[in-house]
Amino acid sequence: MFVCEDKYDVIVIGGGHAGCEAALAAAKLGAKTLLLTQSLDTIAQMSCNPSIGGIAKGQIVREIDALGGAMGRVTDYAALHYHMLNTGKGPAVHSPRVQCDKKVYQFTFKHFLERQPNLDIMQDEAVKISVSDNAVNGVLTLRNTFYHTQTVILTTGTFLAGTIHIGTEMFRGGRYNDMPSDGLAKNLRDELKLHILRFKTGTPMRINARGLDYSKFRLQPSDNPLQPISHFTDVNEQSKRTFLSCYITRTTLETDKILRANFQRSAMYSGNIHGLGPRYCPSVEDKIKKFPDVTSHPLFLEPEGFNTEEYYIQGFSTSMPEDVQRALIKSVPGMEKASITRPGYAIEYDFSDPRDLFPSLESKHIPGLFMAGQINGTTGYEEAGGQGIIAGINAALKTQHKEPFVLRRDEAYIGVLIDDLINKGVNEPYRMFTSRAEYRILLRNDNADLRLTPHAFKLGLLDACYKAPFEKYQALCQTLIEHPTADADENETELFPWTVQKARTHAEIYHKYAGYYERNKKDAQRLAEMDSVKIPEGFNPASVRGLLFESAQKLAEVKPQTLGQAGRIPGVTPADLQLLAVHIERFRRLRNAKAAR
Amino acid sequence: MQHTICALATGAGGAVALVRLSGPEVCRILSELTHRSDLPEPRKQTLCTVYDGSEPLDQALITYFKAPHSFTGEDVAEFAVHASPYIKARLLELLCQHGAVPAKRGEFSQRAFLNGKMDLVEAQGLCDLIASGNKAAHKLAMDSLDGKLSARLADMKKRLAELLAQIEVRLDDVDEEMTPLSDEFVQGEIHTVLGHIKALADTFSIGKYIKDGLKTAIVGAPNSGKSSLLNGLVGFDRAIVSDQSGTTRDTVEEILEINGQKIILTDTAGIREHALDPAEKEGMRRSHRAMEAADLILFVLDASRPVTPEEKELWQDIRRQQKRTIVVWNKKDLSANRPELEAASHYPAAAVSCKTGEGLEELKKLITADVTEAQTADGLMISNLRHYEALLRAQTELESALIRLQARAGGEIYAEHLRGALNYLQDLIGEVTPDDVLGIIFSKFCMGK
Repeated sequence: MFVCEDKYDVIVIGGGHAGCEAALAAAKLGAKTLLLTQSLDTIAQMSCNPSIGGIAKGQIVREIDALGGAMGRVTDYAALHYHMLNTGKGPAVHSPRVQCDKKVYQFTFKHFLERQPNLDIMQDEAVKISVSDNAVNGVLTLRNTFYHTQTVILTTGTFLAGTIHIGTEMFRGGRYNDMPSDGLAKNLRDELKLHILRFKTGTPMRINARGLDYSKFRLQPSDNPLQPISHFTDVNEQSKRTFLSCYITRTTLETDKILRANFQRSAMYSGNIHGLGPRYCPSVEDKIKKFPDVTSHPLFLEPEGFNTEEYYIQGFSTSMPEDVQRALIKSVPGMEKASITRPGYAIEYDFSDPRDLFPSLESKHIPGLFMAGQINGTTGYEEAGGQGIIAGINAALKTQHKEPFVLRRDEAYIGVLIDDLINKGVNEPYRMFTSRAEYRILLRNDNADLRLTPHAFKLGLLDACYKAPFEKYQALCQTLIEHPTADADENETELFPWTVQKARTHAEIYHKYAGYYERNKKDAQRLAEMDSVKIPEGFNPASVRGLLFESAQKLAEVKPQTLGQAGRIPGVTPADLQLLAVHIERFRRLRNAKAAR
Repeated sequence: MQHTICALATGAGGAVALVRLSGPEVCRILSELTHRSDLPEPRKQTLCTVYDGSEPLDQALITYFKAPHSFTGEDVAEFAVHASPYIKARLLELLCQHGAVPAKRGEFSQRAFLNGKMDLVEAQGLCDLIASGNKAAHKLAMDSLDGKLSARLADMKKRLAELLAQIEVRLDDVDEEMTPLSDEFVQGEIHTVLGHIKALADTFSIGKYIKDGLKTAIVGAPNSGKSSLLNGLVGFDRAIVSDQSGTTRDTVEEILEINGQKIILTDTAGIREHALDPAEKEGMRRSHRAMEAADLILFVLDASRPVTPEEKELWQDIRRQQKRTIVVWNKKDLSANRPELEAASHYPAAAVSCKTGEGLEELKKLITADVTEAQTADGLMISNLRHYEALLRAQTELESALIRLQARAGGEIYAEHLRGALNYLQDLIGEVTPDDVLGIIFSKFCMGK
């Protein structure tokens, strides 16, 4: 065994969308960070769809970006098609979505990582997390190298004990063509005794565009004018670039017939898959089974890159055998002569019950162990990235003995995401929707910077050069909210990358939602007050006499950190909270009295 | 502490009821209810009129305590009002309508403790109080919401959640695969739920009678037969009846059941404006109070003789109360005709003979008439202020949703109100999380990416 002489503050295991953001954030905060990944050639790989953003997910990307994360900027680098979704509806539900060149995306991200000071990248597979005195102290790899570290961030994606299904064919893999992480899976399950569960997800087939009959498709051109997904991208420069189109077609009765005839051959229905899959974004066989009245489903052809003829077929996720997949393709108008380049497949993988985490994403049982992304039961690049940046920040803060950084539900979709995960747990892969956010009116893509960028400056996640223009922009927004017709120099350059136009839009939206802002803010304030009541160290909520039995059980399970969090655990009553409030105060006073003595 | 809380601080009975209000919004609520811009001087009892909209509700003695010099350490106001069930309940309702919320068991004490106004020993007692309330309230809520009422609320909640799911799924449906909802459909659904909520909320005053009993004051001139009427209704010789006028010097209370309805009958001393006997004077003062506290007044007149000037004066007095009133013509057996009484035709009337029992059944029907009418078609009603308040708030939210819908606001806007309404219903019957709505979405709609 080689024991590396470097002593790390943070080791990130996994180089996907969560791991990459986590590593960048930790390093930016000054932590000596190591990113361990099985393969540097698949770092930040878009394993499924070639797009970033989407409804509610677009807001998350904007939030990651406003916090100084890389996902938004890399997306703009790799963009091949822009589309602002939902523009027919109110601005609270507008969401940006950007199709990307997959290769450009992953290599751009890799380059971001390589240039980041404090961050080392190593191609090796972690097989064991070393724990001593009930705290993380190192990581052992497949090459038998040992790294010392204070904290570990697990971002294992679909790799933990991954199994791939195509029809009744089954084989091991963390992603098609990649090895599963079996050593680490065993370590987490058997040695660290994490509460491991299993989920399933899937991906559609990719096809070669040669032979497509575009006349049978509906064209979906890139937005013109476009809106970059990153706050820091120059819209004028970005608009000069060339973009590609996407295409829309639909499944037919023939598609339906093929699926029905082959249900029993689908991995989903053959009994081979035990993990739970998502109810939304279902495989196409699921759609036919669960919604038999809908005879035609839309399919979206999305280019996988600038320099390839491969298309991703959104809406055609399937675990049917290869021959059925071939027949399915031919049943769709315009795709009759197309050929499959990679079949769609389903994958089962281990994840860990997120209720075992603190809001900082640190394990309640193993101090120093953080988790982000699919290991917490989520799905999606954006959800992964959002957790990644929070885990990265908090791992670094922990090594600096600072208070964790937690976003509230009224501050960010990322706050909603983590709060939901740790308090409610998951029974299917968790995907964000705007309807999960009770403060939807406050959490918009257009104000992500106003909501979160101040945090980024405070934490040191953003280059200080942005500080002056941002403060100018904040002031301008306030002026325009108070005096909508106020004069402003439209060509003001000191605002860059912000613009007067953006501030005007913000003020307009503010006025559109004015009454609801107040309403949401008032609710949020109540929440914040409850959340400001910390449950002190050493205080055991379950020991409080008079709590309802079920509540006491749930509190013991979740171990909330604040009174607010306790209140969000399903089943905890207002009287339980009252009791807790009194006991916490009692505990505090007794402790102070003891300290004074 | 964020909310302003209110609760009745005195138990049942007594002439004066104390309602306590505590929290950051005490000053605003005080000035809104008393129509005064200046606050009463702290720690001094001040006589103020409490208004229900533009109408006076009661003359109250209000004491204002400025934070932190109060029991809870927050701004506090105490309202000493007449102890009529109506005034008590209506005042609490008004406080809630102006932004206060009903206090939870032990909440005033809890605030006192958290604000450093109580020591650790006292806190232990407080914990026991809350804890006992926790179990009791939990059980009570389950019991009272068991069966039909909770089924009805669950229906409303389900219908609203499904409507919200329909709206939400379209907000998140970027591919516009779903046919848009027509405004008529959304309006129709909201109206349906709103109708149910209103019908249920409207039963509150009635439901309250059912729980607390319908306070009925028997009023009339001396010797017009009030006590005989009381006995006739009760069915046995309860009050002292004599031919000498002014026998009943104290008020006599009797609880009885008429047509399944709890009635609290109060026989009052005969009201004579110029009583000389001090005991009689005291009795009459109480009679006035009973009348003020009553939900229903039975004005008893002797049908065998003309209406006296004193009775006319009393009749004016009764009418000024603006309460449900029934004119009871007694001694029907002695006279076939009714003497003249001003505006008598505006009030329901019954002719009875307490001696023969004739007409008593009709009178009983009149007494309980409103109660039976105000039930919802299937007999559901609510009697708990907290339930009423939640329904009222849900109602306001739904009405706001309709207004926004008519103003062609986006789905994300009226969804806010529907979610608000759903939250209030949730308070009544347990949890609705956004996940419930998502559950409906996933089970009913095919969501893409």
